[in-house]
Amino acid sequence: MQAIETDALIIGAGPVGLFQAFELGLLEIQAHIIDALPEAGGQCMALYPNKPIYDIPGIPVCTGRELTHNLLAQIAPFNPPMHLGQAVMELRQEQDSRFFIRTTADQSFISKLIFIAAGVGAFQERKLALDGIASFENKQLFYHLEEPEQFNQRTIVICGGDETALEWAIQFASTAKHVTLVHRRNEFKAEKHILDQFHDLCTAGKITLCVGQATGYASKDGQLTALKVEDLDGHSQILPLDGLLVFFGLSPKLGPIADWGLALTRKQIVVDTARFESSIPGIFAVGDINTYPGKKKLILSGFHEAALAAFAAAEAIFPDRPVQLQYTTTSPKLQQLLGLQKPT
Amino acid sequence: MTYVVTEACIRCKYTDCVDVCPVDCFREGPNFLVIDPDECIDCAVCVPECPVNAIYAEDDVPSDQQAFIKMNLDLARGWPSITKSKGALPDADEWKDVTTKLDQLVK
Repeated sequence: MQAIETDALIIGAGPVGLFQAFELGLLEIQAHIIDALPEAGGQCMALYPNKPIYDIPGIPVCTGRELTHNLLAQIAPFNPPMHLGQAVMELRQEQDSRFFIRTTADQSFISKLIFIAAGVGAFQERKLALDGIASFENKQLFYHLEEPEQFNQRTIVICGGDETALEWAIQFASTAKHVTLVHRRNEFKAEKHILDQFHDLCTAGKITLCVGQATGYASKDGQLTALKVEDLDGHSQILPLDGLLVFFGLSPKLGPIADWGLALTRKQIVVDTARFESSIPGIFAVGDINTYPGKKKLILSGFHEAALAAFAAAEAIFPDRPVQLQYTTTSPKLQQLLGLQKPT
Repeated sequence: MTYVVTEACIRCKYTDCVDVCPVDCFREGPNFLVIDPDECIDCAVCVPECPVNAIYAEDDVPSDQQAFIKMNLDLARGWPSITKSKGALPDADEWKDVTTKLDQLVK
């Protein structure tokens, strides 16, 4: 796949990464954005889409989802291309001092500047920790399911205790031959109406609840045939199955950032507070992933950092042109960039 | 700053926190977990995972739990890393509502 050449590449589509694209856009720097999750929003969408945030300046209250949607609307005039569902695997500096980046989707980029807005790392699905079970992935073992019809009238085992796990159990209760839900505890994280529906189906015998943890599996002729589950008292049960669905939620991993030669303190990128640039010129770090004296991990701090990093970037991208501070309220140029005024 | 595991974890050790830690900073003792303060990046992802609310930001540790700040630091030096969750201790549910159990800590 051909490398995409760009002035700026933002790693992380959380609130700070999105706002970074906005600040760069105002300074006429085109950015691409990469994120490991399939949708923009970072932790706001992955961890607390429906929970309220009270400390975004000028917005008394909004949910993680609302903040994300507002930021996406705000950056829409700059239309930064998003490369979602892929994590950065490789970052290195070329001879001409530009940066080469390659993602897990084998997309590569060559960028003059890098903005790391990766928060606590790339979110990944938490996998079932049983040796060798990975060989059944996307055949009989699924961490997300796109074609549920394949399990019509089949025997399904679902592992997990969050809303996704319960919703699939409820759906399969009417289409599968048999559904068992395995969870470590008889306590679940889900909205009340889903929880009620789930308990009703358990009572009606449409879903079997098994409290315990998967400790092994059985296979025959290359087919996964059963899951071994052990309860808290050490009693084990064998659950025959045709399909195994695992919903353990998402877990962030800092991943290869530690290998890029950046100065780190407690695995966070050390930056200066005028430019928010790392120890490698041209690589900036904004939001929760950076550290400096007095750092506070607040979304609003990340917004400030993104603004100053963008001005520092403009100096590097347009060395022959003074970078002036203009206000969106009054500047015809900025309003033109935001699509509010026609070019004259 | 760092996050700190407090008394509520003793004899329960549900280990849910371990899976979500982006930097693998949990350390495991016989019946208690601690956070290595030199590794913790203050992301707070582990806090809501704990079924017994044992994890606090250093600045939020309740006054009667302050001793756990130093205990996390000291115990983290000697205990091995735990990076994947495993079942809670067998009698975890019997101990989860016990508030005073520091005397039960096995170092």
